[in-house]
Amino acid sequence: MTKNEFLTKLSHELGRRNVADAADVANEYEQHFSFKLADGYTEEEIAARLGDPSALAAQFDGASVSAGGRKVVTVIGLCFTDLFAGIFFTLLAAWQIVMAACIVAFTALAVCLVGGLNTFSMIPEMPYGCAVVFGIALLALAALSAVGSIYYGAFLKQLMRAFGRFHSNALASASGKATLPPIAVSVRLCPKAKRRLRTVVQISMAVFATAFMLAYVICAVSAGSLEFWHAWGWFNYSV
Amino acid sequence: MNTQYKKGVLELCVLALLRKHDRYGYEISEYLSDHIEIADGTVYPILRKLKADGMLGTYLQEASGGPPRKYYTLTALGRESYERERAEYLRFAETVENILKEDGGND
Repeated sequence: MTKNEFLTKLSHELGRRNVADAADVANEYEQHFSFKLADGYTEEEIAARLGDPSALAAQFDGASVSAGGRKVVTVIGLCFTDLFAGIFFTLLAAWQIVMAACIVAFTALAVCLVGGLNTFSMIPEMPYGCAVVFGIALLALAALSAVGSIYYGAFLKQLMRAFGRFHSNALASASGKATLPPIAVSVRLCPKAKRRLRTVVQISMAVFATAFMLAYVICAVSAGSLEFWHAWGWFNYSV
Repeated sequence: MNTQYKKGVLELCVLALLRKHDRYGYEISEYLSDHIEIADGTVYPILRKLKADGMLGTYLQEASGGPPRKYYTLTALGRESYERERAEYLRFAETVENILKEDGGND
């Protein structure tokens, strides 16, 4: 008897006897075949050693886990959980969009400052030198946001995977099947990516701090006032 | 040896194998068919029955290069009833041995 013949006959006999989770049982025998095949046995030898499929199926009679009522409760509970988790994940995903928008905004502003573009006159007047240094600070801020966004995305992905695993485990245990271990909600990036991201964070933090302070100093000196925004009338009110 | 007779003892053997650590189905099947003369397939119905009786729990664990393996683990109930049945069986086996030895075989 070949592997397929054995498994077909077994599944047929299990079905005839109304054994619960017949697929689960057949799967266990299929795994037995793959272990034995890996050890160099032929399909015929393995089938012969396993025994007669119909005799085996008979031994599964009355040994099945019945969990009908529990399953209904679990499914209803999961529907509610999914509803709330759906809302929750939508909110979390929205934050990802906010972070992406931050990156775009910081970069756009930096380009405008460095390029001397002031299309809608929305950027307050300042000497070009200050604008360039502010632009550099904003670029560093954009890089920081990008790293934050990458981490947040990885976290969100892991959170969703963990929830998916919880979902399938709840269903599996309600119908008496084996469950997989839960997934921990921690960001897992490969060490190389982690090191690179850390370097980017360190450099851009340093650049941001230095450029921002430098810009302030330059502005304060050229305006002759510590509160240079008043001196340049940025907020359109008279002192 | 009588299959029906062996089956009861096999349940006890499965519990004994799982007492120290969790194992997957094939591991148990291999160990038992190496030591006791049974068809390889008989262990799986026993595992299923012990699980239905609440003696065993199962969980899947990812294995390198292959589908996840289904591990069996003793539940508190399984552990308790193993200790009890083990003591019972050892007493029973001792009695049987004594009776058989007193007979002294073919003489």
